[in-house]
Amino acid sequence: MVQPNDYNNDFENKWCPGCGNFLILNAMKQAFAAQNIPPEKMMFISGIGQAGKTPHFIQGNIFHTLHGRALPVATGAKTANHDLNIVVNSGDGDCYGEGGNHFLAAIRRNVDITLLVHNNQVYGLTKGQASPTTALGTVTRLQNQGTTSQSFNPMSVALAAGIGFLARGFSGKTEQLTDLIRRAMAYPGFALIDILQPCVSFNKINTQKWYMDRVYDIEETGHDSADFAKAMALAMKWGDKIPTGVLYEQETVPFHQRIKALGKKTLISHAFDARKVSRAIL
Amino acid sequence: MTIDITVKIGGEAGQGIQTIGTLLSQVCHGAGLFIFSVDDFESRIRGGHSFNLLRISDEPVKAPGNGLDILVALDQRTLSLNRDNLAQDAMVILNSDTDVGFKENILSIPLKGLAKEAGGAITANTVAAGAILSILGAPYKILENLLKNRFAAKGEKIINLNTTAAKKGYGAAGEIRFSKKFSWTPQDTGAVIINGSRAIAMGALASDCRFFSFYPMSPATGIMTSVVPFMDKLPIVMEQAEDEIAAVNMAIGASFAGVRSLTATSGGGFCLMTEGLGLAAISETPLVIVNAQRPGPATGLPTRTAQADLLFVLNASQDSFPRFVFAPGSPMEAFELTKKAFALSEKYQVPAIVLTDQFLNNSQVTQENTFVVDENLPTFICHDDDMTDPGQYMRYCFTQDGISPRAIPGRGKAIVRATGNEHNEAGQISEDAENKIAMSKKRNGKCKAMIQEMDLPRVLHGDSNTLLVGWGSSREIIIEACTALRQKGKDVGAVLIKEIWPLDRDRWRDILKDRTFIMVEQNSNCQMGQIISRETGLFYHGAVLKDDGRPLYPEYIIEKTTQIME
Repeated sequence: MVQPNDYNNDFENKWCPGCGNFLILNAMKQAFAAQNIPPEKMMFISGIGQAGKTPHFIQGNIFHTLHGRALPVATGAKTANHDLNIVVNSGDGDCYGEGGNHFLAAIRRNVDITLLVHNNQVYGLTKGQASPTTALGTVTRLQNQGTTSQSFNPMSVALAAGIGFLARGFSGKTEQLTDLIRRAMAYPGFALIDILQPCVSFNKINTQKWYMDRVYDIEETGHDSADFAKAMALAMKWGDKIPTGVLYEQETVPFHQRIKALGKKTLISHAFDARKVSRAIL
Repeated sequence: MTIDITVKIGGEAGQGIQTIGTLLSQVCHGAGLFIFSVDDFESRIRGGHSFNLLRISDEPVKAPGNGLDILVALDQRTLSLNRDNLAQDAMVILNSDTDVGFKENILSIPLKGLAKEAGGAITANTVAAGAILSILGAPYKILENLLKNRFAAKGEKIINLNTTAAKKGYGAAGEIRFSKKFSWTPQDTGAVIINGSRAIAMGALASDCRFFSFYPMSPATGIMTSVVPFMDKLPIVMEQAEDEIAAVNMAIGASFAGVRSLTATSGGGFCLMTEGLGLAAISETPLVIVNAQRPGPATGLPTRTAQADLLFVLNASQDSFPRFVFAPGSPMEAFELTKKAFALSEKYQVPAIVLTDQFLNNSQVTQENTFVVDENLPTFICHDDDMTDPGQYMRYCFTQDGISPRAIPGRGKAIVRATGNEHNEAGQISEDAENKIAMSKKRNGKCKAMIQEMDLPRVLHGDSNTLLVGWGSSREIIIEACTALRQKGKDVGAVLIKEIWPLDRDRWRDILKDRTFIMVEQNSNCQMGQIISRETGLFYHGAVLKDDGRPLYPEYIIEKTTQIME
């Protein structure tokens, strides 16, 4: 059996002490081990930001790409070999800002990958500027008169774009998060978990306590994840109470199953047949 | 005596100009004649002024014709625009509503009226094709057979509609004949009509490219549409990306996962791809990008041609890294160089750019059919079995030649780490100063061997006093101009560049030293001339530049070269 420790590697971790990312990393390892997937069968693809560094701190195949571009790279990799288990680590700035167009397109394609958005409502790597999920009017070092854009709601946008699996987690609830990651990976299609996390260095508002006072598990209070309208109502909920858990889950056909050429086997597993190519093109 | 004529069919977008051109091309092809066909169109679907310029000869032709022997004016404007360009005994077919008849070499035909008589206004193109072929003396039977084949799938009714329309066209032309006559004997020369777009698609497929990602952009879209007919026959996936950024990054992702990938765009899209180009470079992921050039900057002239992205593609993306740049001079060369780009990109784990343009991508030309799919494709991938301990595999391990054995993630025990950040041998982020120097050196160190892979420019009459130097799609036009200048007694040769970067500066210098050389380029700032100066220290004596977005013609080069030489 694969153990969470099999995912440890000896590369020096570079996050701030107390960062929510440590807990997310831990939940990832637990979830992969729970599914008995060995590290060499995992592929971690990330963009830029503190979340983007995640793949370096875990054992497995990695592609640490460009700011905002993890999803297109993951789409290409999954298309080339849909047997790969691909997890994308992104952040609120990386995914909802720089990569916004790719975020929408990946939902529409329904690529069978798991997207973990480490959402701390701030830019950590570049030291504390507003992110797309920062609340309107929040004062930062750069936006010192308060931010002037409304915050982006990834949950309602993802639902509106037609996502098949939508969940929200919190780094402080590792057990729940582990379960969400496992379910997201088991889901055949594009799965988003927006993971709320504190940023101990730059977000003095949305602290561990702030979240602890607000998050609740919708599965404890009762929720029908097949009900789109109810999911949308929960997706719009923010403030005193923040729902976590699987908001929406709907059976869909993943991207690679929509493509005829990928029906029988993976793209990479075909042998080059010069005579066949020759007959076709000449 | 060679017969070599040029037919121009002009009118508004949406009048079916390209259809007429295609019909004529196919009839000529079926009779063993050679064609070179250029479509000139505006960025609009209806209206404006577009034309097809079709050169037909009983000898191979590889450049567009210019002086018009037959003008087919689907509107009055085409006639007024082209009057000055008519050859001495040129004939004009004028689409008319009212006039019918032949005077002063203008044959007025009511194309639409005749099409309606035949059963449908939509067949006006077929009427026109019939009239033109009649004037050229082509037996009706050839056109009839072609129409039967072309519309076979659409049934008897459509075939009859078109053959009737064709007959109307023949009837309207009556006994009127153009002065030059081909011998219209049906024959199969084994040649094919092909354009650059299709040749690139074929080259990619022959290279085992299985993933095509793109965002539609003229004039590159034709490459992707050329792949479509093969999608049912071969294991390939094509994905229209949300933008060019996604297109290039998808190609990188697929390539990282072990499948050869292609993306194609034009200059504006290439601008968006430059970030991805750098990612391919630092992560040492093979990547082939086609940049089909059109005039810029920004949107520029969307449907027209240029050679103005050379300096850009050579320098695109920040910092420095090795890359291949190829610029084919014909569809056949586009096929060969696409294959070479794939092979070398994978061998050296560097990006390769195929630089074409609207002229090469869209122009149809009769080519000898020597396209070959290589039986055994060399691949440059390592597997667990090739390693002493797959557990110790390091994606970027230092080697003598800078090329680290490339394993594919998820295909074995070896763990593959690729990173856009500067990284150590294991692919982990490294900010170490010594490591940065060593990694830059490793990547750039590949250049030495890469240069050895490159063919030198082709030289014609290299001992001439004056050499015309050009690159990419203008090759055959320069050759034709050079031949004509030599016939006029000028001591002129040509240097034709198809493999641009990296270049062997010493051997390029040997070709050009002690010679007067004139650059021939379709840009405003003589980009190849600048590169030659920078790399060889040799300065061009003059430049024939054309920056209007329209194709080069041999006559233009002859005229400008003669002026410079005087």
